[in-house]
Amino acid sequence: MGRTIVCRCEDVTVEDLNQAFSEGYRDLESLKRYTGFSTGFCQGKCCTAHAARFLSALKGGDDTVADPIRTRPLLHPTPASHFARAVELLDEESK
Amino acid sequence: MAQGRRIKSPEGNPFERGKQVRFQFEGRSLQGYDHEPLAVALMAAGVRVFGRSLKYHRPRGPVCLHGHCSGCLMRVNGVANIRTCETPCRSGMVVERQTGWPSAGLDFFRAVDLLSGERLDHHGMFTASSVLNRIAGYVVRKLSGLGAPPTADPQTPVPISRFSSDAVVIGAGAAGLSAAKTLSGCGHNVVLLEAEEHRGGRLLDGATQNGWERIRDFKEEIESVAGIEIHVKTPALAVYPGDTLQVVAGNEGKTFWISARRLIVCTGTYEQIPLFENNDLPGIFGPRAMDRLVCGYSVVPAEPVLVVGERDATLRLAGRLRELNVTLAGVVTTRTEGDALTSLKRKNVEIFQDRRIVRALGGKWLDRVELAHRSSEQSDLVLDCRACVVEAPPAPAYELAHHAGCRVSFSSQSGYLVQVNDEGQTTHGQIFAAGHIAGSDSVDAAAQSGERAGLACALSLKDDAQVRRRLESMQKG
Amino acid sequence: MRDRAELVIIGGGIVGLSLAYQLARMGMTDVVVLEQGYLCFGASGRNGGGVRQQWSTEENILLAKQSVRMFRQLSREIGHNIWFRQGGYLFLARNAETAAALEKTVKLQNRMGVGTRIISPAAAARLVAGLHTEGIEACSYNSSDGVLFPWPAVWGMASVARQLGVQINTHTRVTGIDVKGREVVKVVTDRGAVATRRVVNAAGAWSWQIARMAGVELPNKPYRHEILVTEPLKPFLEPMLSDLSNGMYFSQTMRGEILGGISDPDEPSSMETGSSFRFLARMCSSMIRLLPRLSRVKILRQWAGYYDETPDGQPILGRVEPLDGFIQLNGFGGHGFMLAPAIGKIAAEWILRKVDHRIFHTYALSRFKHGETRKENFVIG
Ligand SMILES: Cc1cc2nc3c(=O)[nH]c(=O)nc-3n(C[C@H](O)[C@H](O)[C@H](O)COP(=O)(O)OP(=O)(O)OC[C@H]3O[C@@H](n4cnc5c(N)ncnc54)[C@H](O)[C@@H]3O)c2cc1C
Ligand code: FES
Repeated sequence: MGRTIVCRCEDVTVEDLNQAFSEGYRDLESLKRYTGFSTGFCQGKCCTAHAARFLSALKGGDDTVADPIRTRPLLHPTPASHFARAVELLDEESK
Repeated sequence: MAQGRRIKSPEGNPFERGKQVRFQFEGRSLQGYDHEPLAVALMAAGVRVFGRSLKYHRPRGPVCLHGHCSGCLMRVNGVANIRTCETPCRSGMVVERQTGWPSAGLDFFRAVDLLSGERLDHHGMFTASSVLNRIAGYVVRKLSGLGAPPTADPQTPVPISRFSSDAVVIGAGAAGLSAAKTLSGCGHNVVLLEAEEHRGGRLLDGATQNGWERIRDFKEEIESVAGIEIHVKTPALAVYPGDTLQVVAGNEGKTFWISARRLIVCTGTYEQIPLFENNDLPGIFGPRAMDRLVCGYSVVPAEPVLVVGERDATLRLAGRLRELNVTLAGVVTTRTEGDALTSLKRKNVEIFQDRRIVRALGGKWLDRVELAHRSSEQSDLVLDCRACVVEAPPAPAYELAHHAGCRVSFSSQSGYLVQVNDEGQTTHGQIFAAGHIAGSDSVDAAAQSGERAGLACALSLKDDAQVRRRLESMQKG
Repeated sequence: MRDRAELVIIGGGIVGLSLAYQLARMGMTDVVVLEQGYLCFGASGRNGGGVRQQWSTEENILLAKQSVRMFRQLSREIGHNIWFRQGGYLFLARNAETAAALEKTVKLQNRMGVGTRIISPAAAARLVAGLHTEGIEACSYNSSDGVLFPWPAVWGMASVARQLGVQINTHTRVTGIDVKGREVVKVVTDRGAVATRRVVNAAGAWSWQIARMAGVELPNKPYRHEILVTEPLKPFLEPMLSDLSNGMYFSQTMRGEILGGISDPDEPSSMETGSSFRFLARMCSSMIRLLPRLSRVKILRQWAGYYDETPDGQPILGRVEPLDGFIQLNGFGGHGFMLAPAIGKIAAEWILRKVDHRIFHTYALSRFKHGETRKENFVIG
């Protein structure tokens, strides 16, 4: 099947964005949640800008609609074992 | 299985490979080199499908080669989801693909893609009856997940290095290197964090050949300045706002938790693949990925290569590929003039003007590309090619600045840019941004904005007439 | 936007939408929902999707039981798959006192028809491969508890309510409530006003602000609660795990991610939704302690939402003095999602058909004045 993939981590297509838009999900945060783009392993590095451009175009080239999605840590997926020991330091610092 | 082709590594290549090593790939013993990423060794050995996507089970392969995307994930030594493009080959490693049934190469669930029509609506799916809904839940759960949980022994918690610093600079590209150099030159201690093994950022792109020399110069300069602590292979992971900024970064063996009085973010951009039909087919790369692969790692994944783009850098890459005797299927561009184009013509590269890419075709790997006239939707030209380099609008890596609350603004032309004033200061007074995330459009502009942000940052830490004069003269210049 | 309505619901979270959805199904559609953000902006879009019937008060057990029954049908009803998976909930007690409390609540749950069992740490380790049982005294396990995806429940209820005629206005912030004597007359927003005689305050952590607009003081306070998610992996964890010693919980979602949070006794009340390194560190450390095989599992993302907390950990439901027609459905702390289906149904019947229910008495605001509070001591996170 020929597909134009916006988000390759989560297989979100241009049709998905169009459909979500037509169902009334017309801000980037809603589009993200409804279609799933930006929720994959790369956390949107390869798709957020595409989706923002797409939304802006759907709104007739209005770039103000594409305020950034709230960005959250982590920038790169990292094993839990890398943070566990900070608890010891937190304990020391609170003393 | 067509093999990738190894070419001779050019003089002065920072990505020079080390000695030969052998690793296990799904029961086969493959050859790679010290310092060579697994993804590159695998492509050289002809491995094309690295995995399958979660929903439609479409083939996936390396795309960005810079540790950003998810195309190259595999299971390595019993741990799922390892980016093979940033994991160097080591002797005895056990590497497997983790998605697809019965295997990533032959995946029966690809049927989902072929049979599901234009869209598979995962919200409305299996809601016709509650019984069906429960059974479907059971089955879908079995299919979910990227790879199995780790079978390797639990890892002992990694030590944490906690300290304070005048300033942290994130990203050792042209902007970050000059920001760090400037800051430490002004007498402040600086921690410079770089995600890749090599510093340089875009300077590492081989097609702009003087980049490699500039890195060498920078390296000497930086090593000669006291007060810069550099950590490579240590991506910054988060910036937590607070009375002082908390920067968290980590490498394989250590986590850094730094209280920073100031921060300069110089994280550059993520390379994207533009939107056209089947743009996710393995074999399609951005210019910087192809540059890294061929000019840096000296592996040609497949030939002939089609290059699609407008920018000088992209056209120069095509020229460089030609010089390296890579078979080209041609160059598609709307450009009609410029040195880069003239030089391509001189090298007898076939140029397809006024066309754009509308569709890629192939089963598990790219076979051919359909082009259309700029003004038309209908394709009128099909080109055989096994690899395609195609440029896309920029996507600056604004996230870390955004974590801390810096204002970011969007434009279709530039993507998300961190808002800065003339001196590179963001809306969060303690954070500065320089280079491509702040709007620079060339390596030179990035280096300059890094210097400017470095000076302004130094001034905000400690007033100094000389530094102020330098900044003022830069602003005038 | 409609300029008048029979009923205005402030808050497009799961509680407000569940009410709108039930009212619409019962035939009352002259209803306007006002939501300041997008659907899923509030706690309903940020929670862990945990659904359990292990509670220490009769009311909560009743509500949770009814909600579980409703969640089992909800995907079909709303045409949106909420992927409700009943993999059970496993509570872990690390000292004798907590173990005794567990036993007591399990007896109550059993009396009310919930099949929770006290099981040994060894039995728990058979349910969860690799569970580190050292230091665990006792566990309680109920196999019909589970987890779901919150978002589709929100979207689905909203879309059915809309189809039936309810108007849901997103990106519309309530800025005032006009009151005349004992009556509400109007709700004012940044996009116009709606005249109405009845207003439901389902504004979650913002409820205290909304109440104040009508001159009512609520004891609710907002607290940040943080949560994280890992890379998605093939299924390996059936139940939700919850460590009662520090209020840590996590489960595996249908997508395969580990999703969980931990309570923080030092978290001050605030309207802050940023992320903290403190949370990341504490969560990673306690999840590895309980399940060491998670040590190599990669954290993908952390985020935060609010708990809307009352002094006794119980919601505030029903009328408030002296206003007629100003109805509270708030104060759900960390468990409003799982109770929302039942709350919506009961409240709709009460509003539309005047069917009374004990929760409007036990959980009336006036209980704080009269000192008739009973703390729910099974609050996690
Ligand atoms: C991290 C986290 C984990 C949780 N885990 C669970 C769990 O596992 N299980 C569970 O059952 N519960 C859990 N909860 C709790 C649960 O999410 C909440 O109790 C529930 O969602 C509350 O629903 P609500 O509709 O009352 O509030 P919300 O979903 O917050 O909705 C209130 C809405 O009112 C809107 N609003 C506020 N002020 C205004 C205004 N002036 N004008 C217009 N609109 C306004 C807000 O924007 C918001 O959308 C968790 C909560 C958090 C934060
Ligand atoms: S491409 Fe969308 S999350 Fe990775």
